[in-house]
Amino acid sequence: MHFWKMIAVENLKKSYEGVEALKGISFNIREGEFFGLLGPNGAGKTTTISIMSTIVAPDSGKVSIGGKDIATNAMDCKRMIGVVPQEIALYNDLCAFDNLMFWGGLYDVPKAELKKRIQETLELFGLSDRQHDKVKTYSGGMKRRINIASALLHKPKVLFMDEPTVGIDPQSRNLIFEVVQKLHREGMTIVYTTHYMEEAERFCDRIGIIDKGEIIAQGTLDELKSSSKMKECISISFADGSSEDHHTSNVRSDLSKIVLRYNEAGRDIAHIDIKKVNLETIFLSLTGKQLRD
Amino acid sequence: MLKLALKDLKLFVSEKRGLLLTFLLPIALITMFSLAFGGSGKKGESRPMTLVVADDDRTAESRRVAQELDSLKEFEVQVTSLDTGMNMVKKGDKAAILVLHKGLEDSVKAGASPPIEFMYDAAREAEIGILQGSLMGSLMGIVGMGSMEKSVVERFKKKNPDLDSAQLENIRQQIKENFSPEASEEQMEESQSFIKSTALVAEEETSPGLVQAVAGTAIMMLLFSVTSMGASLLDEKQEGTLKKLLYSPISPGSILTGKMLFTNIVCILQLTVMFLYSWLVFGLNIAQNIPALILMIIATAYACSSFGMFLAAVARTRAQVQGMSTLIILVMSCLGGSMIPSFLMPLWMQKVAVISVNYWGIQGFYDIFWRMLPVGDPTFLTRVLVLMAIGTGLNLVAMRLMKRNLLAIA
Repeated sequence: MHFWKMIAVENLKKSYEGVEALKGISFNIREGEFFGLLGPNGAGKTTTISIMSTIVAPDSGKVSIGGKDIATNAMDCKRMIGVVPQEIALYNDLCAFDNLMFWGGLYDVPKAELKKRIQETLELFGLSDRQHDKVKTYSGGMKRRINIASALLHKPKVLFMDEPTVGIDPQSRNLIFEVVQKLHREGMTIVYTTHYMEEAERFCDRIGIIDKGEIIAQGTLDELKSSSKMKECISISFADGSSEDHHTSNVRSDLSKIVLRYNEAGRDIAHIDIKKVNLETIFLSLTGKQLRD
Repeated sequence: MLKLALKDLKLFVSEKRGLLLTFLLPIALITMFSLAFGGSGKKGESRPMTLVVADDDRTAESRRVAQELDSLKEFEVQVTSLDTGMNMVKKGDKAAILVLHKGLEDSVKAGASPPIEFMYDAAREAEIGILQGSLMGSLMGIVGMGSMEKSVVERFKKKNPDLDSAQLENIRQQIKENFSPEASEEQMEESQSFIKSTALVAEEETSPGLVQAVAGTAIMMLLFSVTSMGASLLDEKQEGTLKKLLYSPISPGSILTGKMLFTNIVCILQLTVMFLYSWLVFGLNIAQNIPALILMIIATAYACSSFGMFLAAVARTRAQVQGMSTLIILVMSCLGGSMIPSFLMPLWMQKVAVISVNYWGIQGFYDIFWRMLPVGDPTFLTRVLVLMAIGTGLNLVAMRLMKRNLLAIA
């Protein structure tokens, strides 16, 4: 069965000790979609993911996964999802293989099948040769790879990834990117939170920007660009040390006109900088904050 | 240097748990041991010992003996039937009973040796020693003197039939003056000769000290172990694996039950290994009642593991668990008889001891190895049930608290 709405979030509200963490957010995620959930710290991303992954109950509102309401079908929904938490949640005194046997075993995957999947997953993450080493001997990047692997063994339909590439080496990051892209190609629905704009721009089909418990914008990157009504900026620095900014919706046609005008005015241009609209600038204009704030 | 010291002092004062451990724990232990060994500390003041008197004679004379013993400051007399009294000793509720057999009054009137028997549990050697020491002299004054008076007067009358009543009264008076109720050593020896002593729970191959040492230590150490195991749940919470478990299709109840099961299994293993060790090294006869031993190990392990889970549920961090456990376990072990046999403690402390897991576990193992109670004996089964009830109660509270905390972790 295919779902137009693999995840449907309707008017979700949640307060902690009188502080509203979510103020009635709504969004849908299509089956097979790569959805990025962006927001500054304390915006409500973790609360949203926690509710969607059934470990926190909302005050009101509804979430359904694969057409099933998580409030009434929590166990069915849990079987459909895989969660890669931000923290590396593994048993350090167990080897990678034993960790994966444990985490995969929680989903009732038959033992023989589980062992086969573990070998495939370890191969995918480039950790086959270290599978019998204790996790505590692994580097941060290797641990993070096993952390992701442990969420994939039951072949979930939906994968929640909460900042899966924080603090790791470029090699591990690239490996994770490859795996994530592969999973996306295979049709897995992925909900991804990150602080890295380039990751969101590179992978996400659609992006939801959340701030102060509200979804303030959502759509594809192009939709966000156009809806933001932001203009690119031509920044001119002069030889005398002064500078001027010109906001425009058409850099190509306006740039030559601006340069010509300054030449005619006898001003000596030292440097021209064109600032393009990207997710970073959209985010900044919408939230007033850098993503890392 | 001073600034560093002041900073550390500030940190120390701000850490309430550390303060409690530094001051409250030693105070609690000093109080406990002082009370156990020295009473309230007021010089010359002694607490009365409970003396169970089985009155099988049921005559005015036997009642008088019981009343006179009760009037002494050393004793608090509890009169019961012979069967009940014997059961009390056999089941470890009392260390000894004083039996006033049928014919006591007749014997006293006839000036013959009164049929009095001191029945005791040989395992409680120290307690018996104290009780016997106080009792024998007093009995000599109460019973022996009357009997002796009759006997002497009768002898005088027989040899001197011409003595008038005034002279006989004079003889009685002389006896009373020369043999005061305050017993002399000679009187005590004499009393011991007319009071028969019988061990109801006889001395066997197994030393009660060994049972005390094995059971007491095993349970105390088990409590420390389970604390650590219970705290592993808090470690999981801290390391994020608990949250990850909650993402999986397993209910919070199952996660907790799994942890409880693990703790129970380890507890059973630990106790089994300890008793096997005691058998191998000290010759504790663990084979004498295997069903009862298995039952008591399971019940004790269950109660102890529940205690560990309860502590983990109450605390928020491993450090808190360790702090609390040190205090609670030492107090429970002291009260419950792990450190010193409970019968050496004041009566009120023996009564309070029932709140500790140690008490029920140790008494249960005494039932098996010393009192040789069969597995179906009501006293033994009561101890098993109490341990199971403590375990279930603690588990229910722990489960409730943990569920609340678990749901709050995200």
